Amino acid sequence: MKKYSFRHTIKQGIAGLFHICKEELKMTVKDQGVVIFFLLVPLAYPLVYAFIYTNEVVREVPVAVVDADRSSVSREYLRRVDGGPDVRIVSYCSDMEEARLLLKKQKIYGVVYVPEGFSRDLASGEQAHVSIFADMSGMLYYKALLLANTEASLEMNKDIQIRRAGNTTGRQDEITVRPIDYEAVSLYNPQDGFASFLIPAVLILIIQQTLLLGIGLSAGTARENNRFRDLVPMVRHYQGAIRIIFGKSLAYLLVYLAVAAYILCAVPKMFRLVFLASPDTLAAFVLPYLLACIFFAMACSCLIRRREDCMMIFVFTSLPLLFISGISWPGAAIPDFWKAVSWIFPSTFGINGYIRIQTMGATLNDVLPEYRALWMQAGIYFLLTFFLYRREILLSRKHALKRLHEFRKKRQAVLR
Amino acid sequence: MHTTIHKRLYRIAVRELRHIATRPIYLFCMVIAPVFCYVFFTTLMANGLPTNMPAGVVDMDNTATTRSIIRNLDAFQQTHVTARYANFHEARKAVQRGEIYAFYYIPEGTTEEAISGRQPRVSFYINYAYLIAGSLLYRDQRTMSELASGAIGQSTLLAKGATEEQAMAFLQPVVIDTHALNNPWLNYSVYLCNTLLPGILMLLIFLTTSYALGMELKENTAHVLMRLADNSISTALVGKLLPHTVIFFIVTVFYNVYLYGFLHYPCNSGIFPMLLAGLLLVLASQAVGIFFFGMFGTLRLALSAASLWGVISFSISGFTFPVMAMHPVLQGLAVLFPLRHYFLIYVNLALNGYPLVYVWQPIVALLLFLLLPFFVLKKLRTEMLHYVYIP
Repeated sequence: MKKYSFRHTIKQGIAGLFHICKEELKMTVKDQGVVIFFLLVPLAYPLVYAFIYTNEVVREVPVAVVDADRSSVSREYLRRVDGGPDVRIVSYCSDMEEARLLLKKQKIYGVVYVPEGFSRDLASGEQAHVSIFADMSGMLYYKALLLANTEASLEMNKDIQIRRAGNTTGRQDEITVRPIDYEAVSLYNPQDGFASFLIPAVLILIIQQTLLLGIGLSAGTARENNRFRDLVPMVRHYQGAIRIIFGKSLAYLLVYLAVAAYILCAVPKMFRLVFLASPDTLAAFVLPYLLACIFFAMACSCLIRRREDCMMIFVFTSLPLLFISGISWPGAAIPDFWKAVSWIFPSTFGINGYIRIQTMGATLNDVLPEYRALWMQAGIYFLLTFFLYRREILLSRKHALKRLHEFRKKRQAVLR
Repeated sequence: MHTTIHKRLYRIAVRELRHIATRPIYLFCMVIAPVFCYVFFTTLMANGLPTNMPAGVVDMDNTATTRSIIRNLDAFQQTHVTARYANFHEARKAVQRGEIYAFYYIPEGTTEEAISGRQPRVSFYINYAYLIAGSLLYRDQRTMSELASGAIGQSTLLAKGATEEQAMAFLQPVVIDTHALNNPWLNYSVYLCNTLLPGILMLLIFLTTSYALGMELKENTAHVLMRLADNSISTALVGKLLPHTVIFFIVTVFYNVYLYGFLHYPCNSGIFPMLLAGLLLVLASQAVGIFFFGMFGTLRLALSAASLWGVISFSISGFTFPVMAMHPVLQGLAVLFPLRHYFLIYVNLALNGYPLVYVWQPIVALLLFLLLPFFVLKKLRTEMLHYVYIP
């Protein structure tokens, strides 16, 4: 066999790289399945999610009231509850039984019960109690009911204290009521909304999951089309693992740079989510994330035997991945074992880093652990992909040689 | 030769069971993936309510009083004071680095001003980019602030000669007693897992059903199936999918026993109505799977549609973000998702223990899903007899 010079190999490698990149890009447009996952889902899915959560918070949760006291004081309290933005009193019931019936019919999600003697207790200087009952089918109902009642009771307490203290000036009143004042400040999510909290995580996750699905699909197709069900075809350009991996990943990277720009910049702007990222920080962070995702997906795609298998295997993982990333469920409360498992996936670091950069305006220095982890993942998954592809190349070469050998034997037998 | 329909069904079912047994992908999607998710979600949220979440403190005053406030804050169940910062800027940096979810800020001179009646102001900063952690810490810090204010007020009143009861009645005339019905622990695992687990199963049923039908076309075995079924598409479908129903129902029984029997999540209706709801969900999901495949005719599109529909189910069924707060269009669309109805059944039965009568609407809705395959039977038959696989 003729030995080629090093320069020749490099030249051939680069030619092969661009050829493979071109082929892969062509397939992205031609293969309907890949088009769905590389273009359609990333375009449409963020919009669907943003639309679902667009109202951010729950307002005017319908509740019923059982006012057993029927006094002007209890009515004042209920007016205050109703006056806030969180709940709306839709029904005044005569007793708890009636309210319970409304709960069962899901006409209301909570009950405010003012017991008999409420005004009497207040008048005689004792503590008066109000009971609230929340339907626990949604935490947000509970939150709204609790918030509305707490606010109402604090307001009312203030007025009562002022009346009782008999101060002479307004300033004195304030101090009697609250020797130490306090204020709560919401950072980075001014309306405490659902969309600003969940959407950024979903956006990052969509990038990883669509890459997994798209690359898995294309690998499955390659196996089905090639002879001997191998991942790598026996064609001149597909001779070295390096050029295959770089060629393919270059194609994916080109597509996903555009997709990421749309998902991570255009979508948050469109839905007016908090966006404090500086462009260069975001770009510097997204690059290793995309690379880590691409190599991770390529390594995973070696598992895929049939085209459709990737959907069966990867789709359901979106949910566990969202929870394990520490967004839906606070990262500090994740058991150590699952925390270690979460480090396998680029999405964990991607989500945490992106939220801090986008929503919280962090600099690259603030997300250094995530940034480093993503580069490390990119490196590790590149090596893994390299070994897996090398194995595939050797396998396909072996299959071809075996076939050639058989063919020669057969011909010899015929000749003889 | 004449064969009865039972025999045909039996033969198709046995053929399908052989498929399931010899292909790992079925084992993965029908048993391994759902069971893994069950274990994953319940162990991830084993605490129920997250405890000891990291919070910071900026104490510019640094007196015995402020130190005691911080100690008390640390003693709250949800709050764990992990660090003290020298100034506001450092604490904000720590939030950006993700080290703490919130911090409590006490300005200089707080104690002195409080004692001399000049009403100082403390503040707490909550990072709501992490909504759940933020909400829980907010609760603790607000209670702490109320208490701190109350403690000073109380000592003033006690000094003036009031009894403790009188002091409390003065400081807090109206008290709220909160009753979280049927989930008094505010357990997030109860709140999420009861819908997440069946949801995952539903998603996998969508996929597996479309896949099983599509593979007949892909592997060119559809004509064998139709011959076994005497060219009747309904016989073919029933025979082929009945083994799936049985396996998925066993998995349903497993998660019900696991949640209500083993983990003792609230199940005020008894387990049998929930098993029934689970069976209905399995059947409705299979019907949706058949419908997708029948409608699209290609495996790729059917699976894509099944994935998208399945994943959106989790958001639109309203168990995290209530449907009533969504856009009216989405409120209407929510009925098209089986998980929405299962969620309503679960809330009224297992969680709240209402009689069956209060869930007739979602039950009927789930039953209506079973009609879906009838719309595509004719098309499915043509597909099975004449279509060729398109990748």
